[in-house]
Amino acid sequence: MSSRASALITRKQELPLHSDATGLFLEIMISIAVFLFAVTLAGVLSINSMLSAWNNSILGSLTIQIMPVNTVDIQKSREETLLHQDKVVEFFKSLPEVESATPLSDDQLWALLQPWLGDGINILELPTPRIIDVRIKHGEVIDYPKLAERLIDVSPLASLDNHKLWLNKLINFADGLKVLAMSILVLVVAISTGAIFYTTQTNLGLHRNIIEILHIMGAKDAYIAQQYAKRDAFIGFFGGVCGLVFAVPTIFMIAHLAAQIEGGIINEAKLDFFSWGLILSLPLFSALIAMLTAYYTVKRTLEKMM
Amino acid sequence: MFFSGVLILFNHATIGEPAIIEMKDVCIRYDQGPEILSDINLALKRGSFHFLTGKSGAGKTSLLSLMYLAQHPSRGILNVFGKNVNFTDRDEMAILRRRIGVVFQDFRLIEHLSAFDNVALPLRVCNMNEKEVKKRVKELLCWVELDKHMYDKTSTLSGGEKQRIAIARAVINRPDVLLADEPTGNVDNDIARKLMKLFIELNKLGTTVVIATHSDKLITDFPYPRLHLNNGGLRIYEPRDFIRGV
Repeated sequence: MSSRASALITRKQELPLHSDATGLFLEIMISIAVFLFAVTLAGVLSINSMLSAWNNSILGSLTIQIMPVNTVDIQKSREETLLHQDKVVEFFKSLPEVESATPLSDDQLWALLQPWLGDGINILELPTPRIIDVRIKHGEVIDYPKLAERLIDVSPLASLDNHKLWLNKLINFADGLKVLAMSILVLVVAISTGAIFYTTQTNLGLHRNIIEILHIMGAKDAYIAQQYAKRDAFIGFFGGVCGLVFAVPTIFMIAHLAAQIEGGIINEAKLDFFSWGLILSLPLFSALIAMLTAYYTVKRTLEKMM
Repeated sequence: MFFSGVLILFNHATIGEPAIIEMKDVCIRYDQGPEILSDINLALKRGSFHFLTGKSGAGKTSLLSLMYLAQHPSRGILNVFGKNVNFTDRDEMAILRRRIGVVFQDFRLIEHLSAFDNVALPLRVCNMNEKEVKKRVKELLCWVELDKHMYDKTSTLSGGEKQRIAIARAVINRPDVLLADEPTGNVDNDIARKLMKLFIELNKLGTTVVIATHSDKLITDFPYPRLHLNNGGLRIYEPRDFIRGV
């Protein structure tokens, strides 16, 4: 280590900022801010992944429903409905935009209906509609109204459901949540910055005498501002780490609770590697924000002093 | 009459040589209060030595604070090292201050720092190499006989020791101007004489010295011109006037 570097480490700072009560206050405040920020950010990123999954499902698939043929004989109705289903499957397979058209099996239909109908009911004895899952080729655009018209020509019992109607409501709701969460993030940053600003100003008042001496000795404003920036960068980083220590288990706990919800809607909300990287780097951001806020607050305040 | 001495106003500096500190119709007032000092005209040339005298409250500290750029004049023009301070930016002011050494009446040391760190302050604010800082500070602390207290906090030192640290801090940077507010007020006669010899040596090396003092003994023992403040005005007396009893 060079003598200059070792001197910087062993040398006492002219401003006694390390023994300051405002330092502890800032550290606690930044911990809370980073905790809130991390949890909210995890929420925003999850909502994003959820929206992306939903959008992909809208873009990449559609569902065809074939109503059962209305006859008294259940067996005959089933056979005729299956004929309609085959015609519709053939129709979709002939379309160049379509990747696959797969009718749902009896078991899959039963799995869908069971939550509503309960156990002990034989699906084969009921006039159940048939469902075909159609996958669209990536990048292909479908003209839905035109497709719906052609589908009626193939089978008057078939109807097209492109998920858009009900998913749009969910997407709007999720978008609203995202805006709310983003507002919370902005608020957390604003409050933290404000707190750093006012504690730094208070601190400058407390050490006014030393600052005057430093000025008289020929110190530039930047020399004084650097001492505050250095101290607040450390506080920002350690406060950030403390906040993260509480935030990570909280995120896991919320994720675990969300996974309990059935239906697969929330399950789409997953944090990928990039999202975790972003959350874990929050102490660096809090250090940077604290450092810059302190530096510019000191510079601005000193301009009003001698 | 008390102020009937030879008046040397305005151009005290040698003609042709720019004054190191120059005041033209300078006045100081705090907030909306009355003027503490009015229409001060002064020009200190390089290598001059002056005592600054006046009753308590006459404005000696205020005048010194103008000289060490702790404040701007409320009115008038103040040039320091040829720069008009009203048109000098903050960073440039800091660089000008580095050329001025100040000894305060109340020492103004940083209490939580050691004697060494206090004396090192003017060098460190200039980002001087730490090896050079150590060398210079140790040398000077030995000279003021405080090498044994080098790493003691200044809060544990006596008034006289603090005074010597304050003086060491003021001269460590080999300033062009040395301003001292009652520098011998807290030390015994031997130390006072030694400090005065230091100031005279620095002056011989070209440092401009201004010493604010109440001590008649100092003024008679060391016959230098006197800047006298009275009723907010400044008059300058040559040593012979004081000897004659004006």
